[in-house]
Amino acid sequence: MNVLLRKGGLGLGLGLLFLIRAAAAQVPDSAAVADSLLIQDLARELGQVTPSPPPAPAATTTRASPTLNPNISVVSDFRAWYTSEGERKVDGQLQEAETAIQSFVDPYARADIFISAGNAGDGEFEFELEEAYLTTLSLPHQLQLKAGKFRSNLGKINRTHPHALPFIDVPAVYVNYFGEEGLNDQGVSLSWLLPNTRFFQDLTVEVTRGPGEGPGFVVAGDNRLLYLAHLKNFWDLTENATLELGFSGAAGPNVDDRTLWLGGVDLTYKWKPLRFNAYHSFTLQAESFFARNTLAGGGHVATWGGYVMGRYQLARRWFLVGRYDHSDRPDNPDWDEQVASLTLGWFATEFQKVELGLRSASAQGEDRNYQVLLRAVFVIGAHGAHEY
Amino acid sequence: MPLLHTIPEKTMTRYKHPGLLLLFLLTAWTAQAQPRLKVVATLPDLEYIAAYVGGDHVEAFSIATGYQNPHFVDPKPSYIVRLSRADMFITVGLDLETGWVPPLLNSARNDKILKGGPGYVDASINIPLLEVPASVSREQGDIHIYGNPHYWLDPRNGRIIAQNIYDALVRLQPESQADFAENLRRFNAELDAKIAGWAVKMAPYQGTKIIAYHNQWPYFDQHFGIEIVGFMEPKPGLPPTPSQLAKVIGIMKQQGIKVIIIAPYFKADAAELVARRVDGRVVTLASSVGAFKEVKTYFDLFDYNVNALIEAFQATAP
Repeated sequence: MNVLLRKGGLGLGLGLLFLIRAAAAQVPDSAAVADSLLIQDLARELGQVTPSPPPAPAATTTRASPTLNPNISVVSDFRAWYTSEGERKVDGQLQEAETAIQSFVDPYARADIFISAGNAGDGEFEFELEEAYLTTLSLPHQLQLKAGKFRSNLGKINRTHPHALPFIDVPAVYVNYFGEEGLNDQGVSLSWLLPNTRFFQDLTVEVTRGPGEGPGFVVAGDNRLLYLAHLKNFWDLTENATLELGFSGAAGPNVDDRTLWLGGVDLTYKWKPLRFNAYHSFTLQAESFFARNTLAGGGHVATWGGYVMGRYQLARRWFLVGRYDHSDRPDNPDWDEQVASLTLGWFATEFQKVELGLRSASAQGEDRNYQVLLRAVFVIGAHGAHEY
Repeated sequence: MPLLHTIPEKTMTRYKHPGLLLLFLLTAWTAQAQPRLKVVATLPDLEYIAAYVGGDHVEAFSIATGYQNPHFVDPKPSYIVRLSRADMFITVGLDLETGWVPPLLNSARNDKILKGGPGYVDASINIPLLEVPASVSREQGDIHIYGNPHYWLDPRNGRIIAQNIYDALVRLQPESQADFAENLRRFNAELDAKIAGWAVKMAPYQGTKIIAYHNQWPYFDQHFGIEIVGFMEPKPGLPPTPSQLAKVIGIMKQQGIKVIIIAPYFKADAAELVARRVDGRVVTLASSVGAFKEVKTYFDLFDYNVNALIEAFQATAP
């Protein structure tokens, strides 16, 4: 491990080694033992079948001690970069340290809370409540309700936290239309698993108050709210390949206190062999958003943005990601931002990764800006899996 | 089904009133079309045992295939569709599926199969666990905080799994209890006979030392009397390193070990490299039902593994 880590680290010009320690004491739980004996007795009486656990000297039925504490994890995202523009061309900073606190509330709901200490510049950090929401578990009719502050179910990657994205730089269309952090708002979200037995279909409808600031949607001065809908369709093409097609629509107040209409489509193809699933995989993903924006004077502008991404797993720990973006701005159809980005990712384990990115961007036909980005992400604690 | 067939013709003619006849037929139809319990298991081993004990009363499905690494299964939305309709969900438990079962269950909107629900079955209940750690830290690699979860590879644990599934089936469909009990009895009888047979076959190889790729065989080697003395992985979940391979080669040469076992979802190149150095053999064992075409049942799983091991032991005998 250390040999590989050093080799891979040096290859990237890195000397980063994170030691993750988490020790938890274990207390044998006599109640659990008593329970399991009781269960055995009851099973014997109920089923008239004698369960015969085999005698095994080294074995134990004792379980780790249960706890009612929520799952807690911390993700750290450190970045360093070179940029061809500006006075300070080389820099680095801890982008954020995000704490996730997740747990079931009761048999009816679970809660997810994400608190981020983000870099506010000048070496200062700001705490921000990134998400905090309740999700129901047992509504009838295949419904699921979410309430609180959450990343909107829009497009393919809006709900993904930045540290989990396969690239260091967020696609230009997301930055230009929803801001660096994506669309994140307060309100309710209702998701319905459609009664379709042939493939997965989920329709989500969200009503939120409008984000405090943003290049696209903002909170209105009057009673208007932000409405959003997303339809996700998912097919298993073969045992090893899947296809996802999503449609998004949103309408809400914009910075001019008029209305921004937005439509989006996202398409994701994934290939990953079931048998040797750790070694090679491939993802092709494309997203596009189309906007019709009413400006202060009452005039309309139609704009769009999108990206195409390919991600190939070269070997068990190595990923190569290429992406191309085009994006206008919601108020400027001539912005024409173009980004080409290449990212090489190295995963030590599922708890730690290092990424090296090259990025070239230009807008409004101006000179290209080049960037070299380096990012190290680690997670400690009981961090759950990400959505497929 | 039988109810409809046994309606005597006289009975039919007695129901002169068409409404009554309709009602009778409807009752008969609903009685015969007693719905089959939809069982979703995480692994095919659990699916097989559920289908055996449940018989005609269940329709069983497994999320993972037998040749897939059960630690790393993608939580595809298509499984959510299955789970949303399931009456029963069977998990290996002990955090084996911790990376993919929670997101699936949380999205399934089916409280019957959530922990504590009538359809939730943790197959590990009452399993005598191995390798329960006294303390845990990820410094040690992918370790399992509740103990090693690969317990289905000890055939005696098949009885406990079957009992756990039986209990849940009776809970969900008490009217079919007699059938379930009979199926369970047959399963146990067949398993006991097989266990006796495997013991005879493996008797000459008691105490034979081998190397494993990943630490997933402690229940298997404990039951079959072989001894795993080293792993290709330096720590669970980390790919083999040259220094680890050198260490393994040293152990194998020193102790005259010739056999390395590996699951079907790991690439065997590192193991092959070591095997060439010590004139040994790599044996891909079935880690679950369905790992290979010929491994169709829980009994085949051990038939296959016992035969493959014996063949390797014989081929490498001095």
